Amino acid sequence: MNLHEYRVLFVATVGILALLVASPAMSRLLVFPRTEFFTEFWILDSNHRAEDYPFNVIRTANYSVFLGIGNRLGHTAYYLVEVKLRNQTQSAPNSFNRTSSSLPSLFNVAAFVADEGTWDYPLTFSFDYAYNESLSQVELSSLKFNDITVDVTGFRAGWDSRNNGFLCNLFFELWIYDASASGFGYHERSVGLWFNMTTS
Amino acid sequence: MSDLKSSFVLGILLVLTIPSLAFMPCSSVAAISQSQAVSALDDAEGVVVFAYQAVLRAGESGANVSGLLVRLNDAGQLLTRARMAFGSGDFDSALELAVLCQERLSGFVADADALAEAAIRDRNLDFLVNMVGSFFGSVAVVCGGLVAWFYLDRKYGKLGVRSNESS
Repeated sequence: MNLHEYRVLFVATVGILALLVASPAMSRLLVFPRTEFFTEFWILDSNHRAEDYPFNVIRTANYSVFLGIGNRLGHTAYYLVEVKLRNQTQSAPNSFNRTSSSLPSLFNVAAFVADEGTWDYPLTFSFDYAYNESLSQVELSSLKFNDITVDVTGFRAGWDSRNNGFLCNLFFELWIYDASASGFGYHERSVGLWFNMTTS
Repeated sequence: MSDLKSSFVLGILLVLTIPSLAFMPCSSVAAISQSQAVSALDDAEGVVVFAYQAVLRAGESGANVSGLLVRLNDAGQLLTRARMAFGSGDFDSALELAVLCQERLSGFVADADALAEAAIRDRNLDFLVNMVGSFFGSVAVVCGGLVAWFYLDRKYGKLGVRSNESS
């Protein structure tokens, strides 16, 4: 028997064994670093789907949606969802300029989301409004979010002849806490729904 | 005549003074309640931010912060409701909710720091076992292989040469 005939087999066996023993260390060292850090923000219907959103609303009737946040920032994040209401002429968040709406927030929801984690928030809301026939406009008096009533007296939605309705936009802006600035900054994400306030 | 005039003026003064005296305690109580609510809201916001920073530290240490986040989200909801109550002028509810929020986070930072310390200990142990252990283990396998090779070469290599020579 010539041992040198088995040299390649021996070296291969020792090499495989060494790799097996080194695999726990290699699994930590040979990890592709994360390069994209972002936040997902979505709104789903009452069945957790993106297909059956409410549009034609009836006065004081309850409607449910789910707000969701997915954190891919690499650290736990402190978010604030600002709920705002606008008609067709009022300020909206601008995705090109990356600016938030100048309208005041009606309702805020704080959310702490772990890295790679998601946050799901059920939101039930209803509108209380009256139809002003002489001015042909709908005048809102209050909005109810999860049993909290918000006074929106003075909010008006005029008749939109193109869409045949009194439209208003309930939208949600995502803000994030910046520890270096010790305050919240607009996180350049918003979702929203348009509603037609039915009068009959 | 002058007596009548002074009595009239006194009467007018009394009529004006008594209602304002009656309303004064209420307005001062409301002001106290509002200032207390503002102070409690500021404190609660500070506590929430402080707790969030503790969670960040624990997360950076590699701790599982899911349990902490449940508590922090509860406190965040209470703070949200407190802000809403304050906005609608319900200062008593705002004060109550802000205090509840602070109570919900009582001992939170200590818990987060304890989790962070435990995570650091686990990480050190993990580094020792998985990094140092496996590195030296693989070096030991290579060295053992070399030793085994030289031993086998000394023992069987010559036999192989002899058997070749004899054949």
